[in-house]
Amino acid sequence: MKRTHLAAVSIAAASALALSACAPSATDTGDEVTLTLWSWRTEDVEKYNRIFDVYEEANPGVTIEFEAFLNTEYNQLLTTGLSGSDGPDIAMVRSYGGLQAWVSAGQLVPIDDIVDGLDAIEPAVLAGARGHEDGLIYGVPFATQTLQMFYNKGMFDELGLEEPTTWDEFIELNDALLAAGVTPMALGAKDSWMLPIFSDIIGAGRYGAGEFEAAVLSGEKNFTDPDYVASLALVDDMQQYLSPDVVGVGYTDAQIQFTSGLAAQYPGGTFELTTFNTQAPDLELGVYQVPLPPDAVADAPVTPAYADGSFAINSASEHQDEAAKLLNWFTTEEFAQLFADELSMFSPIPGVTYDDPVLEEMWDLYQASPASYLLLVNFRYGEPQGTAVLGEGVQQMFLGELDPAAVADKLQAGIDQWFVPGN
Amino acid sequence: MKAVGRRKRLTTGVGLPWGTSMMFVLPALALFAVFILYPLLTALGYSFFNWRGTVNDGFSWLDNYVTVFTRLPYKDEIAGAFAHNILLFLGAMVFQNTVGLGLAALLHRIGRLKRFFQTVYTLPYLVSPLVIGYLWSLMLSPLFGPVNALLKAVGLGDLARPWLGDPQTAIWVVVLVTAWQWIGFPILLYGAALGGVPEELNEAASLDGATSWQRFRHITLPLLVPAIGTVSILTFIGAMEAFPIPYALGGSTGSPAGATDVMSLLFYRTAFESGSNNAIGVSSAIATLLFLCIFGVAMLMRWYLDTREKRMY
Amino acid sequence: MSRHGRLARAPLASRTATGVLLWTYVVVSLAPLVLMVMNSFRTTSEMASNPLGLPQNPSFSSYVKAWVTADFSSYFFNSMLVTISSVAISTIVSVLAAYAFARSRSKFFLALEGLFLSGLMLPVYLAILPIFFLLDGLGLVSNLGGLILVYSALGIPFSTFVLASFFRQLPLELEEAARIDGAGPFRAFFFVLLPLVRPAIATVIVFRFVPIWNDFFYPLILMRDRDVYTLPVGLTRFFGEFQTDWATLFAGLTLATLPLVVLFLFATKQIVSGLTAGMSK
Repeated sequence: MKRTHLAAVSIAAASALALSACAPSATDTGDEVTLTLWSWRTEDVEKYNRIFDVYEEANPGVTIEFEAFLNTEYNQLLTTGLSGSDGPDIAMVRSYGGLQAWVSAGQLVPIDDIVDGLDAIEPAVLAGARGHEDGLIYGVPFATQTLQMFYNKGMFDELGLEEPTTWDEFIELNDALLAAGVTPMALGAKDSWMLPIFSDIIGAGRYGAGEFEAAVLSGEKNFTDPDYVASLALVDDMQQYLSPDVVGVGYTDAQIQFTSGLAAQYPGGTFELTTFNTQAPDLELGVYQVPLPPDAVADAPVTPAYADGSFAINSASEHQDEAAKLLNWFTTEEFAQLFADELSMFSPIPGVTYDDPVLEEMWDLYQASPASYLLLVNFRYGEPQGTAVLGEGVQQMFLGELDPAAVADKLQAGIDQWFVPGN
Repeated sequence: MKAVGRRKRLTTGVGLPWGTSMMFVLPALALFAVFILYPLLTALGYSFFNWRGTVNDGFSWLDNYVTVFTRLPYKDEIAGAFAHNILLFLGAMVFQNTVGLGLAALLHRIGRLKRFFQTVYTLPYLVSPLVIGYLWSLMLSPLFGPVNALLKAVGLGDLARPWLGDPQTAIWVVVLVTAWQWIGFPILLYGAALGGVPEELNEAASLDGATSWQRFRHITLPLLVPAIGTVSILTFIGAMEAFPIPYALGGSTGSPAGATDVMSLLFYRTAFESGSNNAIGVSSAIATLLFLCIFGVAMLMRWYLDTREKRMY
Repeated sequence: MSRHGRLARAPLASRTATGVLLWTYVVVSLAPLVLMVMNSFRTTSEMASNPLGLPQNPSFSSYVKAWVTADFSSYFFNSMLVTISSVAISTIVSVLAAYAFARSRSKFFLALEGLFLSGLMLPVYLAILPIFFLLDGLGLVSNLGGLILVYSALGIPFSTFVLASFFRQLPLELEEAARIDGAGPFRAFFFVLLPLVRPAIATVIVFRFVPIWNDFFYPLILMRDRDVYTLPVGLTRFFGEFQTDWATLFAGLTLATLPLVVLFLFATKQIVSGLTAGMSK
């Protein structure tokens, strides 16, 4: 295996040399090339095929084969795929910490010098595609996911309710829903990965979002900070507005709870939108940021966000030039607009407009007060991952096994094992 | 199938010549060596190296094993996961040897419909464990689950609970669903063993005034021991390797809060979800430990059953 | 084997109790499967609002959708090919090896048998990465042949275990008689012993068929091309795509479950006797 790796590296090096010698646009026209592209978006196969039809038309001779694999099994498929001989030319790769194992194994090509337009992408999003040790960029980010509260507009109108603008209104709203016999919020707490997302939607404003992020990264504060513990206490308080046995409710059960009108609100990410739209096309959606609670550190409600993943080049690919050319297309406005229109997701490339009013509203909210999905963006670079520890911790808090302070301690203990502040 | 056969060494006649034996064994040996022995030894080897993704980063002695017992999240999770595997084994044993044996005994008493019942009881075994896990998690869902709905409908609403959301009940759901899927197996095997009990023996014993329990204890049970032994060893191996059902019921994290975590899930998370650079090293160490444990205990059980069988005959 | 009409002598109360217990467990056994079939005829919102309800407007549209989107027919063909071939290969090589294990007097083969047996206790899926690299080196990733070889090898420990103990129960005199008649070891094996171990061969086939048919782990990692997906892998994709479209999902699950159940119903007699052959005295 060592030998294959060496071979891969030398191929990569050779092709990098070849690339720097000639501009990426000067490809060998006339040859038939098939680029395989792997993805974990099984639900988006049709849509991506339509996007790539546009590229294939403009680039005769190039065929793009889009292969999607089940999300939960994708990492192992890609890990083996990249180290074997049948891997893709281009792969959708995870962001931030999830990217590092492939980078350190030398399986991906750094693209700083071969792809244009990366500097137009917001640094926090681009960081999702950065190698942690070498600081190089390994992929073109394809989607920014924002986290917020979705609600059922029809149901709100029926009950005479409105988007809350203050914490008191938020609590009143939930009480009113409860009194009306509706589950206020649908949450799939059985799938623990959903819980750090919920925690940030509810509590990011309380602990101070970006300000706290900077303090934790520099080592000035840590997760046992009273403000962070208080944000977890808010999450714990929210349990009264969730299904009675929320830890037994799975992720898809919660989605169905919301789309079938059994729950009025759904705290979630942009990535839910496709499911909501296909599952309940008649459901009129609204979105809002959870208002600031009393004693909040932040000055305004925030929308936490993160880069979902990026498109990277397999260093063992035999079509380095063609792959680089396609990656260059991914940074164009043409692709970004197609992507946004087809997939109802946010493109990190500037200059995109959103037709879907819900999407547009989420984008505006995010632009007004952006924040990081703290644990995913910063605390997945070591074992145990921050998101995994908090996910289990919040489950234990909902089950009454741990109090908010103990959850914060548990999180800090996990992070302490590998995190060195000030890096 | 009978373990006892293996001990019977040939005492008479001419054995097969070495060369001829080799010709008979060679195809199986080749397949076994290439696709089982070689990968397993390789995986064992992996556990002694440090890894960067899929790149070997040098010999690291027992570091990966030390990691499993001294670093988070492994040191917190391994004991619970292992204990759940043991529970899975014990639970399956109890279920098989009460419900399974009971049903086999009942089936043994009827003539008509016997094959129908056998077929129905074996059906869950035919369904993919992934589907089984999914179906049961829906059955038991606190929102859409027919089980709780049924309990409420018949006035037993107090019994309704979030079966898979409560750490107290979740592991038992995993245990019971696993045992439920496999029950057809012991029923068939025990049924065959019961069929092998000579009727005359039972009749003679009842003429001598033996109670039905005495007849069971002294005539039927000794004859069942080989079957129980075989079933136990296979159950142990199955329980220690359990993956699809826990995965489908509690997800890869063993939800809620690790209450349904098992060793193969720990391996799975480490190997494929941790995103750790050294995922191959640590996960191979976990696999090796699990293997040593299964191998050791299965050998012990075999030895124990062999000696015990001798005594009971 | 069974004693017919034995219960006829038992008192009525005992007969009723037996019946009630047996039928109760029928319900326990079938409930989830019945739910699966019923739900394939109900919409997601019907299921969400009334977990216990019956289908309101049953139609087969969900089945059509599942069949068309999931491409089950080609997955089904692949599964059949893989399962039958690998069960056949592993049974053939195991019968040969088991015979040698049972009849050789050499210590070497005793040790080899022990090694094979230890394979029974190995969580082999934990060695998935080396297996992947091995197949990759042989050019057999995304190749049904590669999967067949892996499954064939995985069947060997169990199959030789069962078959060797069966061979040992056959009296040596049989072969001795054959040899006196001038038959070599191969003739003796094929014409005298092989017919006698048929029940054990049936056991081995039944025990290996179901797990291979239902396995999703190996093909998930080793088969990357949609053309070579087996049914369980197709099913995992299907789960991903239709997790909130329950009617289609359940129709797909029913379709995927049906073949083996039908097969089993037709062959119950053979399977039950195959399963139990090794156990009876």
